[in-house]
Amino acid sequence: MELQLELQTQRSTRRFLPSPAKLAVNALMLLFTASCILPLLWIGYSSLKTQAEFANNILSLPSAPQFGNYLEAIKLTNMLQLSWNSARVTLLSVIGITAISYVTGYITARIDFKGKKVMIFYYLFGMLVPIHALLVPLYLLFKNFGLADQWYTLIIPYIAFNLSLPIMLISSYVTGIPKEIEEAAAIDGLSFSGTMYRIMLPIAIPVLTTVAILQFFSCWNEFSFALVLLNDESLRTVPLGMSYFKSQHSTNYPQLMAGMILSMLPVTIIYFVFSSRIIAGVMAGAVKG
Amino acid sequence: MGKALRPKGWVLLAYLLPGLIIYSFVVLVPIFAAFRDSFYSWTGGPKKTYISIENYKEILQDNVFWHSFLNNVLMTAYGLIGQVGFGFVFALLLMSKMVKLKGLHRTMSYFPSTLAPVIIAFLWMLIYNYNYGLLNAGLTKLGLDVLVQSWLDLTGPIVLLASIPLSWQNIGFFTLLMLAGLSSINKEVLEVAELDGATGIRKAWYIIIPLAKPTLVVASLLCIANNMRGFEHIYALTGGGPGNSSSVMALYAYETSFLRFRYGYGSALAIAIIALTMLLILLSTLALQRRDSKGGAY
Repeated sequence: MELQLELQTQRSTRRFLPSPAKLAVNALMLLFTASCILPLLWIGYSSLKTQAEFANNILSLPSAPQFGNYLEAIKLTNMLQLSWNSARVTLLSVIGITAISYVTGYITARIDFKGKKVMIFYYLFGMLVPIHALLVPLYLLFKNFGLADQWYTLIIPYIAFNLSLPIMLISSYVTGIPKEIEEAAAIDGLSFSGTMYRIMLPIAIPVLTTVAILQFFSCWNEFSFALVLLNDESLRTVPLGMSYFKSQHSTNYPQLMAGMILSMLPVTIIYFVFSSRIIAGVMAGAVKG
Repeated sequence: MGKALRPKGWVLLAYLLPGLIIYSFVVLVPIFAAFRDSFYSWTGGPKKTYISIENYKEILQDNVFWHSFLNNVLMTAYGLIGQVGFGFVFALLLMSKMVKLKGLHRTMSYFPSTLAPVIIAFLWMLIYNYNYGLLNAGLTKLGLDVLVQSWLDLTGPIVLLASIPLSWQNIGFFTLLMLAGLSSINKEVLEVAELDGATGIRKAWYIIIPLAKPTLVVASLLCIANNMRGFEHIYALTGGGPGNSSSVMALYAYETSFLRFRYGYGSALAIAIIALTMLLILLSTLALQRRDSKGGAY
């Protein structure tokens, strides 16, 4: 992420701004960053208070951490079931997205064929179409085909609606790799498929990782399709389960907060472990997109 | 690429087909199905009555729908200021040598983008809460007790209040997007500008903004598309209320179909939403490009 650091060192003239301006700018940025994270910290420590303690003073720290709130939240939301459902749907969707977008992205980067431009435009259309307008027709379609309320129901829209960006990302990444590698492989007698999987796939691992992580967030957090396509309580995903929990137990705030923390734990852990890779990926996607 | 590497046509097709099939089934087929159903009066049962363009006529006179459309437009306007505008300012600041702890700012400000919209909505519900909300607690601490109120019951500024969580969540993404755009600007241009005495705000206004225009255009289009399709935040934060004051198009289509069982009308609404959104994106693309060629700042 040295992108903008170069800019500063390359400057030939140096102007020293008065330090009040510097202080003000830094204070502003710190305030901005704090506003992104403090509400979440508030949720975090408030989830450890008793209900009375929270009602008494919403800002104070918990006097004795109430981990029981978490046990209650797990029990009331059926969090283990929700997490298992979310994990299954998310994992399979991410595998599907990554596999399909690798093959499609690789082919669009390397092969010219009739209708390629149309296909690229078709996939781009998916990024602009207001997908939530399709909730009604999609529900009717899934019901007609008997695809609603199955354990695999959500995998279908999750793959479809998350293909556009990964295809673009992977395609532009592959375009940046020298073709000589594949030509050498072809001279050695490797087939197209062999080259795609055995030679290029390992080289594309960084972009595939970024795609997989970003789509993990997208699928784990998805709510609308889960809301419309699932009736069966035992199939609910984490965001869906949380919304029912919220409407049924909205008076016990510390417990609700404990549930919220639990529901965002997986993405939080993955984000802070891979944050530099994720940010680099988003910025790369921004430049190329 | 040489002929030797070119796969046979059927191999190519076999590789591309799974993606195209699943994508078409979920994106294209529903649009056609909705178009067909939009000419019927249908409550979901076996009885479907063909009523020609009656649904579309009804849409034209449906106040709640047009109010929802205006809310979408209003949210887009707030989004352009709150997400693209502030994102751009923060990106400019993060580019300058004045700001310390850049890594921390980048990491923390993008974090909310990775959270579920439903959870973001719950968080802001708690912030806006009358008795136990951060906002009212903060106002009390500052001695501004007069401003303490039940925020989400205000019909007037409700769209603004509902747009703030959206901006809060997405500003980090737009900051990164702008940072990426800004860092691809030719550094020599900036150096020459500095030698000519352009610094600080003057440099930002006369040099950086014109050069960053392509990035700003892309960001604006993304922001428009995002806000026109907004559903989850509003559903979870206000449910469209109080009354219909914060309703958006997708939410209205959802309620019409799933709560009032008017699938035919809901399908017509879906078509209307797609048409309006595409029209708006097309118009803004044209407008932004025209200003691009007229500006001539390059």
